[in-house]
Amino acid sequence: MEATTDGSQADQFIAAGLASLGIEADEVDLAIMGALHGLLWPPLLELLDMDLGDVAPERCPDLSREPQ
Amino acid sequence: MTDPLDLGLRAQAAAIAAGEVDPAELLEATLARIEERNPALNAVVETFPERSREMLAAAPDGPLHGVPVVLKDEWPLPWRAQRFGAAELTVHTAPGESGPYRALRDAGAVVVGIGNMHELGGGTTGNTSVYGPARNPWDPERCPGGSSSGPAASVAARLVPAAVGADGLGSVRFPAAYCGLTGLKPTFGRAAMEGHHMAPVTTLIVSGPLCADAGDCRLLASSLYGEELAAGKASGLRIGVVRDAVSEDVTPEVAAACEAAVEALRAETGGEVREIELPDLEAATLSALLIINSEAARGATPARLNQLSPELSPIARGTLKYRMLLPAAAAAQAQLVRTLMRRRLAALFAAVDVIAWPTVPAPAPPLEAPIVELPSRTSTADQANVRGAALANLTGIPSISLPAGLSDEGLPIGLQLQAAWGADELLLDAAEALERANGRRWVESLPPLAQATTTEG
Repeated sequence: MEATTDGSQADQFIAAGLASLGIEADEVDLAIMGALHGLLWPPLLELLDMDLGDVAPERCPDLSREPQ
Repeated sequence: MTDPLDLGLRAQAAAIAAGEVDPAELLEATLARIEERNPALNAVVETFPERSREMLAAAPDGPLHGVPVVLKDEWPLPWRAQRFGAAELTVHTAPGESGPYRALRDAGAVVVGIGNMHELGGGTTGNTSVYGPARNPWDPERCPGGSSSGPAASVAARLVPAAVGADGLGSVRFPAAYCGLTGLKPTFGRAAMEGHHMAPVTTLIVSGPLCADAGDCRLLASSLYGEELAAGKASGLRIGVVRDAVSEDVTPEVAAACEAAVEALRAETGGEVREIELPDLEAATLSALLIINSEAARGATPARLNQLSPELSPIARGTLKYRMLLPAAAAAQAQLVRTLMRRRLAALFAAVDVIAWPTVPAPAPPLEAPIVELPSRTSTADQANVRGAALANLTGIPSISLPAGLSDEGLPIGLQLQAAWGADELLLDAAEALERANGRRWVESLPPLAQATTTEG
């Protein structure tokens, strides 16, 4: 199946995701979530596409100091 | 003689220590000023005069003895649980001695009120809160910035000389910029956080001071850090600037004011300006958003989400539920971006001392429609603002917003400086250098509502 990020898929994703978690939502909730999804999802897909295989993870990073 | 209420934090503390100002009289005058000026601002959402008087009666002779301070609605007090600007939280809160409260109490300060905040810390404008929106003293029809809206508006309106805010994605720096104040986001872990309901899980949020100038921030931060932040003189400052949306997709007057401030800072310190590369800032911003959303999901069970208070705003309700759909793979990727950006910054800070760009890309927008016009597009203020602030929270570095000018409409413009881990003192030194360079013009600018009152004598 081809990947797309159109509105109908977003609606399906949100509705199916909420239903699978047992979370109820009214029309206002869905409208807000649709708007959030439209803002967040495209850059989120870009984030997932970033090749970070060469970045060695920090083990228990101490954020008060520069990385080791 | 200047009214003691119009003095900054250092001056109020010094006047009390010298016996020139009676702290009991100052407290009553502060409460009266809050009563007088706050209705136009909704900056302070609760006062507790008897508790404040008791705090003053027991106050030790610390560096903040007798000085009234506002605390953001993000930490508990022994007599009050935090509400986080919301009708409901997904975690239990209760009254108690929080870290910032202890720090203030042990320094001799008096908590005189609770500062309003953007609901659930979820916005950069302060226009949404269970208490109603806070308003900007420079123009009450404008946003004060968020989420530390009330603390900033309180100081800008000279209700109090200092306030404690919290910064998870810029929440001290945005209101500092919108309200013409100096606001410090400490290095992660340096400032008191205990008692915050997210303290056990957050890797982004810190407490931080909001004051009129850097010297006052230094004094208040020394109490919050539990160590004196020594003053130095910034010299030979190597200032890094990036040619990226954070510095270029801003209004022309913001660009002009911040470029002038950077040049003034360079000249004052005998330093230099270096262009630097800092790619993937958009990914860093999204990563910080993903991480803070996953941390904030604590306690948000489906059952709980199905019983949310109808008094929560529609945006808060939708956000709390949508948060449950964010993929774990993206959160894991965000942690790798965090590591990547931390390593890049560590390398950059070998070549520059500070990185400078505008705190926000446009001055405070209207409360009714928090939209900003950028060269590239029309944007919500939230979207436009967060991209310049999230890097410091994601990586743990300190950052400061300082006044850099006024727009044609008379609204404050803020410059942001970021430095290496633990170099909070350097940021304060640099801020003081900029104050010297411009003759303290911007830190002494007052909104009309807070024009200094003078008395005979």
